[in-house]
Amino acid sequence: MSGKMCSSSNSIIQAQKLVDQLQIEAAMERFKISLTAADLVQYCQEHRRSDPLLTGISASSNPFKDKKTCVLL
Amino acid sequence: MGEMEQLRKEAESLKDQITAARKAVQDSTLQEAAAGITVVGRIQMKTRKTLRGHLAKIYAMHWSTDSKLCVSASQDGKLIVWDSVTTNKVNAIPLKSSWVMTCAYAPSGNLVACGGLDNMCSIYNLKGKDGNVKVMRELAAHTGYLSCCRFISDTEIITSSGDCTCILWDIETGTQKTVFAGHQGDCMSLAVAPDFKFFISGACDFTAKLWDIREGTCRQTFGGHESDVNAIGFFPNGNAVITGSDDATCKLFDLRADQELITYQDSSIMCGVTSLAPSMSGRLLLAGYDDFNVNIWDMLKAERVGKYMWKLYIPLENGRKVDPAEDSEGSSRVAVGTEH
Repeated sequence: MSGKMCSSSNSIIQAQKLVDQLQIEAAMERFKISLTAADLVQYCQEHRRSDPLLTGISASSNPFKDKKTCVLL
Repeated sequence: MGEMEQLRKEAESLKDQITAARKAVQDSTLQEAAAGITVVGRIQMKTRKTLRGHLAKIYAMHWSTDSKLCVSASQDGKLIVWDSVTTNKVNAIPLKSSWVMTCAYAPSGNLVACGGLDNMCSIYNLKGKDGNVKVMRELAAHTGYLSCCRFISDTEIITSSGDCTCILWDIETGTQKTVFAGHQGDCMSLAVAPDFKFFISGACDFTAKLWDIREGTCRQTFGGHESDVNAIGFFPNGNAVITGSDDATCKLFDLRADQELITYQDSSIMCGVTSLAPSMSGRLLLAGYDDFNVNIWDMLKAERVGKYMWKLYIPLENGRKVDPAEDSEGSSRVAVGTEH
């Protein structure tokens, strides 16, 4: 009997926690996608030049490319 | 009306509220915002280095902030710190438990961490006085496997676990500072925001959650995936989250609009995503899949612009370099590639 009561009060505690959490999430201020998506696009464009996968790296500044000439260490 | 029934109705009402609030800001799409941009050209990647030394499957790797050193964890029971430029092993650390599933490099470069089926996160000091690398702390409290760990600093680390929680630890005292509970399934991975104020977690409840590190609360929950979320990362400016799932897709979630912007999928891709990393500008998404491929996506146009084939489990970190891992009988290799 007490086991059953414990589990039902546990369920109520869980259900209350869920409601509390949903209240936090519901209350957030949301921004329009037209604004936020434009920001993402702008970020990509602004940082294009520092993205080696897009613009490449010259062989001399690529630490992973094996150098063809002798290098004094 | 019983209390349970009342709470259930309240929860449903709040969920409807959230759905409506998300719809209210849907005045555009990412496709529209990127309409004036052309898809990036085909990305070719070349293997530049192969790091040989592990004797069994490599489960994880993580780059140091200097982008030269990295640490890898293998089920051969070793943590290896590599100089990726020279391919030399800087440290080879024997582990107490060989069932390792994750590893991390501290931003300072002073510490590395790992953990797995031992349910613990072990911290190693690379810069000890006598030059020997020793266990500094063993963080034990999780009741499930350690799936991921990431340092905030030399004194704090966040872990995610198969026990459905994430924990923020004080490394010096070895104690839990905050437990982040809320996921209804194993937590599979986590990523820390560029400003170190938030972190995100992906779990087997098919959702991703954004957590406030100091407040200890979950701020946002992102659904939409149809299976476990295995991999997760931040867009470089910290305003969006990328997830990879067993449902064979990756998704981009906007934090400020609180919703999914786009899905990266292709009918020819039918296997789960195991790891991902955005490139430095955020324009490209490198994602590793169960079929041993790395697909490169144009994040703004949601088109596949490259493919890199490798052999087995592929851990990815840091968009600048791609690190696939290979396991074959008797030897394991981790390869580093850049595009030229």
